[in-house]
Amino acid sequence: MNVLEIRNLTKKFDDFVAVDNMSLSVSEGEIFGFLGANGAGKSTTISMVASLLRTTKGEILLLGKNIASHGKFAKSNIGIVPQDIAIYENMTAYENVSFFAGLYGLRGALLKERTIEALEFVGLSDKGKAYPSTFSGGMKRRLNIACAIAHRPKLIIMDEPTVGIDPQSRNYILNSVRKLNEMGCTIIYTSHYMEEVEEICTRIAIVDHGKIIAEGTKEQLKAIITDAKDIWIGVKSERPSAIDNLKQIPGVISVRLEDNVVKIASKGEINNLNQIVQQLIKDQIEIRSVEEQAPNLETVFLTLTGRNLRD
Amino acid sequence: MNILIIALKEIKTTLRDKRTFTFMLLFPIILMLILGTALSNAFSSTTPVGDLKLLYKSDIADKQLTQFWQSFSQAIEKEGIVSVPIEKGVDGKQEISANHYAAYAEVGDQGIAYYGSSKKTIESNILQGMLTAFADKYNLAAAAMATDPSLAEGIIRDANDSAAKYVKETSLIADKQPGSIDYYAMAMTTMIALYASISGTLLFWVEKKRNTIVRMIASPVSKGEIFAGKVIGCTVINILLVFAVMLVSKFVFQADWGNHLGIVLVVLVTEVMLAVSLGLVLSYWKGDSARSIVMIFTQISSFIGGAYFPLGNSGESFMGFISDLSPLRWANQALTKIIYNGDLGAAWPAIGLNVGIAAACLFIAVVSMRKKEAF
Ligand SMILES: Nc1ncnc2c1ncn2[C@@H]1O[C@H](COP(=O)(O)OP(=O)(O)OP(=O)(O)O)[C@@H](O)[C@H]1O
Ligand SMILES: [Mg+2]
Repeated sequence: MNVLEIRNLTKKFDDFVAVDNMSLSVSEGEIFGFLGANGAGKSTTISMVASLLRTTKGEILLLGKNIASHGKFAKSNIGIVPQDIAIYENMTAYENVSFFAGLYGLRGALLKERTIEALEFVGLSDKGKAYPSTFSGGMKRRLNIACAIAHRPKLIIMDEPTVGIDPQSRNYILNSVRKLNEMGCTIIYTSHYMEEVEEICTRIAIVDHGKIIAEGTKEQLKAIITDAKDIWIGVKSERPSAIDNLKQIPGVISVRLEDNVVKIASKGEINNLNQIVQQLIKDQIEIRSVEEQAPNLETVFLTLTGRNLRD
Repeated sequence: MNILIIALKEIKTTLRDKRTFTFMLLFPIILMLILGTALSNAFSSTTPVGDLKLLYKSDIADKQLTQFWQSFSQAIEKEGIVSVPIEKGVDGKQEISANHYAAYAEVGDQGIAYYGSSKKTIESNILQGMLTAFADKYNLAAAAMATDPSLAEGIIRDANDSAAKYVKETSLIADKQPGSIDYYAMAMTTMIALYASISGTLLFWVEKKRNTIVRMIASPVSKGEIFAGKVIGCTVINILLVFAVMLVSKFVFQADWGNHLGIVLVVLVTEVMLAVSLGLVLSYWKGDSARSIVMIFTQISSFIGGAYFPLGNSGESFMGFISDLSPLRWANQALTKIIYNGDLGAAWPAIGLNVGIAAACLFIAVVSMRKKEAF
């Protein structure tokens, strides 16, 4: 069964179309990845699913019921992890989870049990009495998740739950997403981090300018662009002007620099490796390694949207 | 139940905020103490009972009624009230506006008409208290005189016997003069009630800033319940804070709150309701700048409404008009009449204005809330 079905969904802010006639469906048990650059319309879509924004057009069905007419039902079955951390600094971690779970109708002993359970789930059980103002960024993000799961929703929507945190917390969160999924939750996961999405998502939609421009498993997505390749060149020093020069070479789709590796996405059929290497030498950049790779998701994204996932 | 959960959260988090305590409790109590002590001299010299001056105009043709009036004015003179007959050609009402007398009474065969000074509020209230009791009997007698003189005689005889008594009774109340601590206990309490408007502006602002409003709206709790829960919680906690200030002034500073605490509390409760709704509607209307607007509004209202100096005995008429616009002035006037004059009816204008404006503000807030996508 489809946990979520979106049909021809449009959202306009005045004249600006943030979500443009979008349709998609998420079936039970999926970890559905929502990929898109800044301003692509991910949060806007999510907000409409969570009844935070009104739709301009189209309909949204949760577990087969239209959320416009079954608002309470839909809301009860959704847990939302907002992109911007939404917790009270002047309430303890326990009180935060318990308050929000209370809004979903949990009371008494059950409320207590589920609150403890949610805190345990995100690894904060020993911090129940502590105030979030004393928490690290990662701990706040984890509490942000705990507040969304205590009422055991069928669908959990996570809007960039790992922004700006340490690798340890990130791994913790990714593992808990998997665990939630194993427990039967369907998950919609939004992220700027390609590796995360590639690692945990069973299916991925690439969003650009409010539209879904590609959708499928990672393998399916990678198969879309058989005509692209990745060239990774390890360099000793980096210089932005050199990168601009590389972009002028025929066939090059995009160039980005990560940890002293120049990552170039290029059209597959054009042999431009020589030109690229020569340009780098001309710009007096010392080359340490050259690698040609099969296209990864990042390349897929770049090729389809012409944009980097992260600015 | 959802409303209760949200209201309780509101109360709990407000109580945890140290700034709440400093601002809503410590600040008024300290001011009360400072102003009450520093200005105690000013108070005892400006409002002694001896200053109670009543101007009257007597057009009584009937002998019995004349006697009746005279016995009354003698009785009140024993209580230290000077009653002065008006000179020919002088306009009594003008004398009142010119602040020469606390009250003016026109006594005739038809009855008594009473004019109180709007500036010498305290004195005028005391005089009014005495006169109304007398005037009730007098007017009755006057009416009877026209139709059935023998009945009138009976009324006057009965009244004359008790005249001294009820003048004594009201004058006991008249002896109750607000000392400086009494005045500032009241003025600071009404001031702090008005400061509840600041929490009104913050009510949804904080929730938006913390982004927690997103979770609230995403939950199956309706917008109406969220709104009600938050408004109720905020009002209740502010009422508790105002009561706390009042109780400290009553039991620690021994301030006089009169014998009608119930109605005093009702006036204060409605004032908090007014303040919270005013802040709330401003936050919808003016967004982030609502808080500064409310700060300025409350401070000006406090200043012109008598929070720092009593207005009863001061001021020109322009100042009087301006200060009437301050919700504090309504509250202070009502409370003065209740506490020092036992005039419970004086609560109604203040309660009416407070509740009326609060209801209008809440209505506008609800309408704006429904229009907005979120809050
Ligand atoms: N309330 C609003 N009013 C006007 N425009 C808005 C509003 N909310 C979002 N937008 C615009 O809609 C577009 C989509 O925004 P959205 O937040 O959905 O993007 P996103 O994909 O979540 O981006 P990010 O990765 O930065 O979170 C953006 O251009 C944004 O400026
Ligand atoms: Mg977003």
